[in-house]
Amino acid sequence: MSMIMWFVLMIAISTVWLVWFLKNPLKSNLFNLEKSNVALGKQKQAELEQDLRQNLIDESEFNQAKQEITQTLAIELNQATGSDTLAQKNIPLWSIGLMVVFLVVASLGIYQLLTPQPKAESTPQVVEQSEPPSLKQSMTKLKQYLLEKPDDFEAWQTLGLVSFELDEMEDSLSAYERSYQLNPKNVSMLVEYASAIATSQNDQFTGRASTLVREALEINPDAPDALYLAGLVAVNAQEFDLSRQLWKKALSLLPQDHPDRPLLEDILVELAQIQGKPMPEHQVVINVSLSDRLRQDGFKNHYLMVYVKAAQGRPMPIAIQKIKLKDFTGVVTLTDENSVMPSKKLSQSRQVIAVVRLSQSGAAMKQVGDIQVLSQVIDIRNNPTLDLQVE
Amino acid sequence: MLVEIGHFALILALVFALLQVSLPILGMVKNNVALAQLAKPLLWGQFFWIIVSFAVLMNAFVVDDFSVKYVANNSNTDLPSMFKISAVWGAHEGSLLLWAMILAGWSVAVSLFSKRLPAEVLNHILVVLGFISIGFLLFLLITSNPFERLDIIPLQGRELNPLLQDFGLIIHPPMLYMGYVGLAIPFAFVLSSLVRGQLDSTWLRWSRPWTLIAWAFLTFGITLGSWWAYYELGWGGWWFWDPVENASFMPWLVATALVHSLSVSEKRGAFKHWTVLLAISGFSLSLLGTFLVRSGILTSVHSFASDPARGLFILIFLVIVIGGSLTLYAWRANLMRSSNSFAPLSRESGLLINNILLVAAMLSVFLGTLYPLLLDSLGLGKISVGPPYFDAVFVPIMIPAVLVMVIGPFLRWKKDNTSRVFGLLKTVWIGVAALFLVALFLTDNIFVLLAVFLFIWIVLHSLVLLTQRLQQKGRPSSAFFGMLLAHIGIAVFVLGATVTTQFGIEKDLKMELNETIDIKGYQFTFKGVDNFNYENYRGHKGVIEIAYAGDKIATLKPEKRQYVTGMPMTEAAIDPSLYRDLYVALGESLGDDAWSLRLYYKPLIRLIWLGGILIALGALLAAFDRRYRLKVVKS
Repeated sequence: MSMIMWFVLMIAISTVWLVWFLKNPLKSNLFNLEKSNVALGKQKQAELEQDLRQNLIDESEFNQAKQEITQTLAIELNQATGSDTLAQKNIPLWSIGLMVVFLVVASLGIYQLLTPQPKAESTPQVVEQSEPPSLKQSMTKLKQYLLEKPDDFEAWQTLGLVSFELDEMEDSLSAYERSYQLNPKNVSMLVEYASAIATSQNDQFTGRASTLVREALEINPDAPDALYLAGLVAVNAQEFDLSRQLWKKALSLLPQDHPDRPLLEDILVELAQIQGKPMPEHQVVINVSLSDRLRQDGFKNHYLMVYVKAAQGRPMPIAIQKIKLKDFTGVVTLTDENSVMPSKKLSQSRQVIAVVRLSQSGAAMKQVGDIQVLSQVIDIRNNPTLDLQVE
Repeated sequence: MLVEIGHFALILALVFALLQVSLPILGMVKNNVALAQLAKPLLWGQFFWIIVSFAVLMNAFVVDDFSVKYVANNSNTDLPSMFKISAVWGAHEGSLLLWAMILAGWSVAVSLFSKRLPAEVLNHILVVLGFISIGFLLFLLITSNPFERLDIIPLQGRELNPLLQDFGLIIHPPMLYMGYVGLAIPFAFVLSSLVRGQLDSTWLRWSRPWTLIAWAFLTFGITLGSWWAYYELGWGGWWFWDPVENASFMPWLVATALVHSLSVSEKRGAFKHWTVLLAISGFSLSLLGTFLVRSGILTSVHSFASDPARGLFILIFLVIVIGGSLTLYAWRANLMRSSNSFAPLSRESGLLINNILLVAAMLSVFLGTLYPLLLDSLGLGKISVGPPYFDAVFVPIMIPAVLVMVIGPFLRWKKDNTSRVFGLLKTVWIGVAALFLVALFLTDNIFVLLAVFLFIWIVLHSLVLLTQRLQQKGRPSSAFFGMLLAHIGIAVFVLGATVTTQFGIEKDLKMELNETIDIKGYQFTFKGVDNFNYENYRGHKGVIEIAYAGDKIATLKPEKRQYVTGMPMTEAAIDPSLYRDLYVALGESLGDDAWSLRLYYKPLIRLIWLGGILIALGALLAAFDRRYRLKVVKS
């Protein structure tokens, strides 16, 4: 039986129930409020007499208490409105019809109102063929595809990556987990999944993230991506010698023209600097102006997250400040002190993008309703100052 | 599809609640019995659809339907079946659904078992309960839908909080909710009376057993929570003055005052203002507790969610309930005037003093709980109010309350005189003094001596009262026995709580293999640690042998668990007895077969929960007194 039929059946049961009791009202128990109070008054008198026998009240006080019970009863009978004699009336058919209509319309209406529409329906159905689909559209299509082919490992992995790029971390992790369940031996998936988990836990390559990296290296000890992440795991554990070994090995395995070689070379230089001489310190000054709407009281407990992230590669912050809007002065200066990872100071970075995000929850990941503004690519070594407008 | 059916059933429950409120009101206004009498069947319909909804959610947990966000977030395939069922109320959405189901269940019970209540009165009460149901069902559907689907269905769910994977979770929340929600019943009785403008004997008589039952459940729920925290959290404590614990304790204090106030209002027609205000504040404090837990204001093992939208919803609901009921109270205040007088020394005065002390105690807890939150929200800094405050403020208020508690039943109604009371009780007081002198030889701890004094005070007075009553004509009522049992429960609790706090021993130490530590004559020998695997966790199990006077009396196996999702958990091992508990919690490995361990010796700790159980049983005994089976002549 389809869902609609179930709903119809449930509404039908409810309607029959309602109409049955409208046509056959429950009999009133015929207890009258006045008689109830009189009976209780008599019981109170009897209890008072028992109290007297048990010496729980003095003889003289007994008479007064007796009088009080009588007075209370008189007041109660006075208060009685006599409205407890309701007339038995038939309900006109149109009234019953109205109630049934209310039941049907209210239940279906509330269901319609409260049930989120499938995201697929909210995206445009017609996409101009000349334009390549956006990441968002790709994700929607992938989800539709996976509804029909839920065992397609590659599609789940792709969905994980696309969601990751779109900062939809919950979706990304779920998709990677699904692909992991389908094929836990795929190294590229393991590396991507580990990165996603680390990103979701503030770049900490601990717990499940480090387990996945280890699994990837057990399958292929010469996978450069896995070696790179294993190096980050080692940095997290403050084992800098180990991380240097791992990154050197990764570098030796990459072809000479591989685009990731400069990144690894840089990171090895930076590692040497961390372990050796101090580095020059850089900073980014960001002037954030807020629209009048955002200056209103309703936003004062929102969080302003100002950070820089690498212009290319993973979208994890390098340095960040999180300020309540009510405490915000208008200028944020990011320095090495605001760096997220001890192994990746702000001053060690080059090409970055500044991000200003206004968030109600202050969560690490971008949430629905958050307002985010990005800068152009800037070079940290120039100690840049930039203006960003949040509306 | 089943999940959508559950969701739709919840919506139908809301529609039934809306009809339950509107149609009977229309019937009463239009003088139409067919409409007025719809309150009961519509309530039953509402209850039925909530049960369907609850069953669907439970099924989703049992069959591991991870397409449901709530299931995916709180259960996984490795979770033992028993905990899959209790996981239904292990987090915010499900526990709210349980709340709504219990509220409807209470309402159905009132509709079925209030046969001596005039139909008109009952219909009014069901309308008020319908209003409350609407609030909670809207809260569920708008902010806390347990049937929300996920776009991407994970193959595996997350972990139910390991703290909650315990037998205690199965029964603690339902019992506590029975108490919390049960306070809606006296609230509904009061409100219906205020609306009708008839604050009469009928309302007072028939709301009392329901209040007693709700109070019994609340007592039992709090007791269970204390026991659960003791053995599950691994700290060896039984009460932490945690704001969420306080949130359940405040309505308990008010409900305690209410059951006493009701007895005076019912028998002597006095204290009506007190009774009305206590009924309103009891349920309001239940809602406040819900607000504190659900809004994310508090961080605790009880706080399920940090969601301002949820907090705002409950806050608005709270304002409507408190504001509305206090307005009604002000409107009908003239109906509560009473000319029934009583002297300063009388049973009424005794109960009044106790009510004042209980309310003062509640206010002290209220202040200690909310003041830090208020300061924080106003940006005036963070302060921490903990046990030192509560011990210094709450305990001194409660000592006179406990002293007066057992004198009250000896006093006469309306007026008594000191010479009669002194003559009646002087032998008791000599007995108390004699026994207390014996206690002086046993300990010099002032707090324990005070607790022993209160214990002897309550028990001797209760025994003398019982003897007196048995000598009189006629069998005492079960309400009388209930009162004695509840008062003795207080005595047992006071003794257990004080002795375990004062004489309890805690040792946090490193133990080598086969090393023995002596605590109060008990030799704890560390015999090493085994590894183990279970369905959804693995870990280490310590082996500690305990001997007394050379005889081995127990082998305890505390655990250090690592759940599959990576969450760690300490599981204490306890050798219980009525006189003392021996409690061991396993810490970390310190290398070379050495481990850190926490060893506790807890004298008389079981009395704390025994006391709670006695209080709850006393309340139930009083609730089923024969006077509540009064026959009323039908029209």
